[in-house]
Amino acid sequence: MARIGVFVCHCGENIARTVDVARVAGEARKMPGVAFATDYLYMCSAPGQKLLAEAIAEHGLTGVVVSACSPQLHEPTFRAAAAQAGLNPFLCEMANIREQCSWVHPSREAGTAKACRLVAAAVEKVRHARPLEPAGVPVTRRALVIGGGVAGIRAALDIASAGHEVVLVEKQPSIGGNMARLSETFPTLDCSQCILTPLMVEAARHPNIELLTSAEVEEVGGYVGSFRVRIRRKPAYVKPDLCTACGDCASACPVSVPNEFDRGLSWRKAIYIPFPQAVPATYTLDANSCLNAKQESATGYRVLACERCAEACDRQAIDYDARPEILEREVGAIVAATGYELLPRGSLEEYGYGRYADVVDGLEFERLLSASGPTEGELRRPSDGRPVRDVVFVQCAGSRDPRRGVPYCSRICCMVTAKHALLFKHKVADGRATVFYMDIRAGGKGYEEFVRRVMEEERVLYVRGRASRVVPHDGELVVFGADTLSGQPVQVRADLVVLATAMTPAPGDLAARLRIPTDPHGFFQEAHPKLRPVETLAAGVYVTGAAQAPKDIPDTVAQASAAASKALELLSRTELRREPTTARVREARCMACFECARVCPYKAVAVEEIRDREGKVVRQVAAVRVAMCEGCGACVGACRTGAMDLDGFADEQLFAQIEALARREAA
Amino acid sequence: MNGTLLEIGPPAAREERSGFEPVVVAIVCNWCTYAGADMAGTTRRAYPPNVRLLRVPCTGRVSPLQVLKAFEQGADGVLVSGCHPGDCHYVHGNLVARRRLAILRALLDFVGLDARRFHVSWVSASEGVRWARVVETVTRAVREAGPLDAWSPRDGEEPVRLPEPPPAPSPPASPEEQEAVGRNLRSLAASLLGEGRVTVFLGYGEATLPGRAVPLLATDLAEASALVWNDRCHSNLAVYLAGPNRVPGKVAVVLKACDARAVIGLQQEGQLRREDLVLVGVRCPGVREEDGRLALKCHACDGEVAAGCDFTVSADGVETGAARSAAPRAVAPDPRDAAIAFLEGLPPARRWAFWREQFDRCLRCYACRAVCPLCYCGTCISEHHRPQWIPASIGPRGNASWNAIRAYHLAGRCAGCDECTRACPARLRLDLLNRRLALEVERRFGYRAGEDPSAAPPLAAFRPEDPQEFVHA
Repeated sequence: MARIGVFVCHCGENIARTVDVARVAGEARKMPGVAFATDYLYMCSAPGQKLLAEAIAEHGLTGVVVSACSPQLHEPTFRAAAAQAGLNPFLCEMANIREQCSWVHPSREAGTAKACRLVAAAVEKVRHARPLEPAGVPVTRRALVIGGGVAGIRAALDIASAGHEVVLVEKQPSIGGNMARLSETFPTLDCSQCILTPLMVEAARHPNIELLTSAEVEEVGGYVGSFRVRIRRKPAYVKPDLCTACGDCASACPVSVPNEFDRGLSWRKAIYIPFPQAVPATYTLDANSCLNAKQESATGYRVLACERCAEACDRQAIDYDARPEILEREVGAIVAATGYELLPRGSLEEYGYGRYADVVDGLEFERLLSASGPTEGELRRPSDGRPVRDVVFVQCAGSRDPRRGVPYCSRICCMVTAKHALLFKHKVADGRATVFYMDIRAGGKGYEEFVRRVMEEERVLYVRGRASRVVPHDGELVVFGADTLSGQPVQVRADLVVLATAMTPAPGDLAARLRIPTDPHGFFQEAHPKLRPVETLAAGVYVTGAAQAPKDIPDTVAQASAAASKALELLSRTELRREPTTARVREARCMACFECARVCPYKAVAVEEIRDREGKVVRQVAAVRVAMCEGCGACVGACRTGAMDLDGFADEQLFAQIEALARREAA
Repeated sequence: MNGTLLEIGPPAAREERSGFEPVVVAIVCNWCTYAGADMAGTTRRAYPPNVRLLRVPCTGRVSPLQVLKAFEQGADGVLVSGCHPGDCHYVHGNLVARRRLAILRALLDFVGLDARRFHVSWVSASEGVRWARVVETVTRAVREAGPLDAWSPRDGEEPVRLPEPPPAPSPPASPEEQEAVGRNLRSLAASLLGEGRVTVFLGYGEATLPGRAVPLLATDLAEASALVWNDRCHSNLAVYLAGPNRVPGKVAVVLKACDARAVIGLQQEGQLRREDLVLVGVRCPGVREEDGRLALKCHACDGEVAAGCDFTVSADGVETGAARSAAPRAVAPDPRDAAIAFLEGLPPARRWAFWREQFDRCLRCYACRAVCPLCYCGTCISEHHRPQWIPASIGPRGNASWNAIRAYHLAGRCAGCDECTRACPARLRLDLLNRRLALEVERRFGYRAGEDPSAAPPLAAFRPEDPQEFVHA
């Protein structure tokens, strides 16, 4: 006989203001199987949990229902409390009467009535629950870090230094990410390369880090603790152990294409090194621009149109016949740090972004400022190479502008622009810098002071208002805008316009492969902004850096270490307790149609042969490989005979819940 | 204050005055819609309290049994909601669910539990506002549909009469022709049994009442001499090839075109081994009812032997393999489709009235199940007690659930032999339910049952681009 305890939480005023909690507890007392019901101010507080534990002992409860907030918030809390009091945690359920009742139904009468139904359904679920024991699964003590920008490098180093192996996968031929493009970083004006390069080298040299560049994650299988990852690695066509990065091949190469690292402001050869400090410091042949790329003969033999790089290479490191590699790795945890991009060129038409050569984005301006950039740090116009004297900076170019760009604030642009203006004034002392801004959001440590300094000491003119458009005039640019403080329209002549374009997530479908949700803008969604900021809803998958939301380098690095520490928490264990909510077959009912196996996303349903005493196969039945089952229940939905069931969401439970929910209360 | 002012009061006030508060059970996935509903709460976006949530891991966990149970237990409407396609936490659970729900929805709509009562939506974890809007729309629709209280036929309600079927497009086969087929079958059976190629020849024999035929299992030449063929050879003998009635050994089986589809379906579902069978196709002139009328299923069928048969038997002789005749039988539009179109032309309430009257007559004798080759389950879901998804006793709600789940379980599988309908002592038009879902499966998924033994069953498969016009936009 079930003896269920029902605990109705007031959540301060959050529930009690609209739901008559005492009445809900009173109704609960009349429900079948309920031995005890009460209401309490804060069930999740220490006294609340104590109340729960004491009631379990005092009333000999065989199950509990906590009627409070969403189970996504506190189910683990109350299940742990129940377990501590000696109850199987799966005999504890929550009725969500806050998020799905008191917060959305202003009517006290209707809200209380609905709360009673929700409690009744939860009581039914517990009444038909079975105690479940989590299964132990071994943890593969290796991590995968996706993305070799500063976030990925930091996370990889932290995990590797703690003694675990790391597979670091980077799409580009070199790690470093967007930060490698930066000239100096705010607010300290450290040289970006000086901070980043040592980390890049350390990551490449670390005995625990396997660095895979020009590689992408193609498929992620398995589950927390033992993911199976398939990685596709593009060939470099250059044997890394032979390449000394002497550059003879590039000198010999007849093909020039825009250099992506300089965002097209310079040229590179088809065989190239992305930038001098690249890690790994070896050359890569870009198969898309190499003359040999299109030379497949009809007979199937490869025809080489040009072998100049191979001829130039003393060490014979060039290998035109290299093929893409598919690598399989087993990992226990995954950190996704795929970073950001800027709004695509051509998106902000009124500014001529992508149309006028002298309208550049922030990363292009960084390259123009950088000592290792296309102009070696001398500030010249991309269009004609003339020195730059007047620069107009446009903040919020696409940010906070749902109509033309994105609705969110990209967070770094106020500081980036201030830094740009300062660096410009340091290079061109008599130059004129004008900044169009909406507000200044300089919320970091030392940030506000930095912006003040730029405004006041560097004599940068800040104009409060949006720039409306940029038009070319006589070989120069004119920026039209409004000074909203004086209420006057303004026109500013410029040699160069720098747009603080919005940050957007890196494109691709990695989130789908990792089975993690994204927010409406495509940034990875954290499990909870405050409680689980670097975890995702997929256990064992962590997010960090600008892939989660726009953020600056200090925040990125801090978050990367946070993600690494969460991954380490997982990797520090040899075994994980796995949720026992997995599918189960009642063999006697199985008719072996195997539709369950067809719909299972995890190939967790196997064919089991039932044999007689002589070992002859009598019949086949479906069998669930528990370690691979994620507990989605698609197999149960497919099963016509009712042979499949899902522990934790069993047919008997759902049946009883539906009865409780569908019932119309007496008027 | 006067009455007109009240009319333009807040919606809540108006609704309370109408007196009917619908109960809507929402079965939602844990990762997207449940979190989306939480989001509505976090942002304090109010919505009608009529919707009560049942949390499941994934919409893939949703079974039609749950939806039927909710209606049966008093819900006026049901909403199933999950992740947007491509966002499923479990890779593709929602895409499998989308196919199942599309078929369930077509079925419910056809019996008159129309689109206002059964809803499907995709709501993500960040779409609190969308969730509130979906609930508002659904609640409004269910309110409009009214209470789902009538399950039995109402007194004095005018019964719905289906149109008369058209005359047969082809004349009956002559007794001589039928006898010639019988003779050829007997000689084939004699040679197969005589050579030991099969241990059982499964065909038709004379029934006790003259002019009728019953299944006959011939294991020797003497028994084989009793084999006959005529247009009363109704039984689908595939029912003896799998499941509880399975005939052991190496079996030759006589198949009409419709029966052969069931064999392919069984093969597809791993229920029989093709190498244990010799398929004897008969060029079928169509079977006839007791009153001599051509069976409805035969109007649109040319009677040709299905591809994959080992022998083709006709009045002219026995040929090896599936051979087509020089002059196939004349065909006409399927009269079942006309009946379906007629019912679909009625308002939902009238369709519901038609089917209520039909289901009310159901005796729960399960003859439909017994004669169906694809109902091969050892224990039918209707006989499970923990939980008892389908009420076992005869009653309007349980009868409706039983007949709905039977039809649903045959969607994408039914061979269209209509044996269930012929066997039904209460003359329920089960053929129309089956046929309606077969048409839905074909229209949505481009799939026809019983044609390709290697094809994936349509409800255990999906395509990302499957139509989803029924999902709340």
